[in-house]
Amino acid sequence: MIAPLLLYILGFTLYPIINTVIMGFQDSVTGIFTLENYREIVGKVEFKSALFNTVAFALMSLTMEMVAAMGIALVLKRKFRGRGLLRSLLLVPMGVPTLVSGVAMTYIFNIHGYLNEMLWRLHIINIPVDWAGGGFKTLMMVSFADMWKVTPMVILILLAGLESIPGEVYEAAGIDGATAWQTFRNVTLPLLKPSITMALVLRGIDAFRVFELMLVLAGRTMPVISTFAYDEYNTYSNAYSSAAASTILVVIIAVFITAYLKIVSSGEER
Amino acid sequence: MRKIDFGEKLSNTLYLPFAFLAMVAMIIPVYILFKVSVSSPQEILTAHPSFLIRSFTFNHWRQILRSGGLWAPLTKSFLVATITTAAAVVIAAPAAYVIARMPSKIKYAIVLSLFLLRMFPEVAIALSISVQFLKWNLIDTNIGLVMAHLILNLPFAAWILVGTFETIPKDLEEAALVDGAGKVMSLLKIIMPLAMPGIAVAAMFVWLNSWNEFTYALYLTMSKRTLPLQTYYYVVRGGWFDAATYATILMIPVLLVTFFLQRYMKGGYLSGAVKG
Repeated sequence: MIAPLLLYILGFTLYPIINTVIMGFQDSVTGIFTLENYREIVGKVEFKSALFNTVAFALMSLTMEMVAAMGIALVLKRKFRGRGLLRSLLLVPMGVPTLVSGVAMTYIFNIHGYLNEMLWRLHIINIPVDWAGGGFKTLMMVSFADMWKVTPMVILILLAGLESIPGEVYEAAGIDGATAWQTFRNVTLPLLKPSITMALVLRGIDAFRVFELMLVLAGRTMPVISTFAYDEYNTYSNAYSSAAASTILVVIIAVFITAYLKIVSSGEER
Repeated sequence: MRKIDFGEKLSNTLYLPFAFLAMVAMIIPVYILFKVSVSSPQEILTAHPSFLIRSFTFNHWRQILRSGGLWAPLTKSFLVATITTAAAVVIAAPAAYVIARMPSKIKYAIVLSLFLLRMFPEVAIALSISVQFLKWNLIDTNIGLVMAHLILNLPFAAWILVGTFETIPKDLEEAALVDGAGKVMSLLKIIMPLAMPGIAVAAMFVWLNSWNEFTYALYLTMSKRTLPLQTYYYVVRGGWFDAATYATILMIPVLLVTFFLQRYMKGGYLSGAVKG
C-alpha cells in the first residue's frame, strides 16, 4: 500500500532533481558533460546580483521576522483584553496566498501608493520614493512583504516554545531579583533556543526559495536565484543554464537541510 | 516585593500599543487590496490616493464577472485542486496507515524524509518536469497540472496522515480481528471512520495548496491559465483593478478555509503547510 507513494516520490521528485543537476553539467547541443553552463551564468551580471540579492534578502527578512515575531510572541504571552483578537488576526496573513500578498504590497509600495502617501501626509517626504527602483530600498520592500506574510507562522513556533517554559523558572528569577531584561536575556532566550533555531532554519530554506513574491514585486529589477533560473528557461529558452542555476540553489538548500537534521538529531539526544 | 525596573516598566506600558500596531499591520494589506477592487479609478490612479473608500463601486467586479476572463481559470483551478485532493488522499492515506504501523525508527526516518522532500526548490523540480511534460504532451492539460501538484502534496498529505493514524490505538484493530472481522473489514469499518476528521483536515490543506500553487502552474502553462496565473497576468500588464479583483477572488476561499482550520494551525503543521 506504500508503493504508489514511494514510486511517485522517486519518479517525480528525486528523479527530476537529479535530472536537473545532470542537465546543469551538460552541453545544450551535444549533451557532453561540461562546466560551460556554470561558466556562462557566473559570467552574467544578473546572476551575480541574483546571488547577492538572495543572500541579502534572506538575511534581512529573517532578521526582521525574528525580531517582530519575538516581540509579538512575548506580548501574546501576557494576559490582556484583545489577546484572542490578536491571535485570530494572526491568521489573516496566513490565509492570504503569497501571490495575493505580493499584489497587495504593490499597491502599498507603488510610487503613488499608500506608503508614500502616508509618509507625505506625515510630512516625512516631499517627493515620492520609488521603492521598486532597485538597491537597498527594493530589498527593504520585499523583505517587508515577506515579513508580513510569514511572521505569524514564526510567532506560532516561538509561542509554542515560550509556553513550554515552566513558570517556576520565572518565579526563581524573580526571587533572585533579576530585571526584566536580565530574565529575557538569561532565562527566556536560552530556553527558547531550540524553537528559535528551528524557525531560523525552516524560514531560511523558504527565504532562499522565494519566487512568486519576487516575481510580482521586483520583477527583473531585483532577480534572485529562483527568478533568474525561471528567466533563463522561459525568456531565454536555455534550460541548461537554468538547470545550472537551479543546482546552485539545490546545493544551498541542501546545506540548510543538513543543518536542520543536525538540530533535529541533537534535540533527540537531550 | 522587588522593585520594578526600567525594562519591565517599558514593556508594561508599551505592550498594548505594540499589540494594537501588530493588529493593524495584519489587516492593512488585505483592506487595501479590497479597497482597490471596489474604488473608482479617480480615487486610486492619482498622486495622492485616499485611505478610505470614498466612491464605492462594483464596476471592476461586474466587468470581471462578465468578461469571460474569470470562469475558465476559476474552473481550471477548482478542478485541478479537487482532483489533486482526491488523488492525494487515495494514494497517501493507505501509505500513511502502513507507515504509522511501522517500527518507530523506520517510521521516523520515513516521516522526516517526506518532510525534507518538500524543502527542495520548486524551480529545480519544475524545470525537469516541464521538459519531460513537453515530450509527453502534458503542457496545458489538467492531468499534467494535477501530476505536478501531487509532487508537493503527496509527501505533505502523507506526513499529516501518519500523525492521524498514529493516534488510533492498535488494540481497536486487534479487537476487531478477534471478533472475526477480516483485515480489510476492520480497516474500512474501524480505522477509516476514526481517521476521517484527520483525512478531512489533510484534504483541505491539500486543496488550498493546490488552489494557491503558482510555480508549477507557471512552468506547465502556455495558454490555459489557472486563477493565480490569471492574477499574475494582470499584475504584469499593470491592470490595477483587474489584479486586485482577481487577487481578492483567489484569496476568499483561502481565508475562509484558514479560519475554519484554525485549531490545526500549530507550529508543526505550519512549517510544511501554509506556505502558498
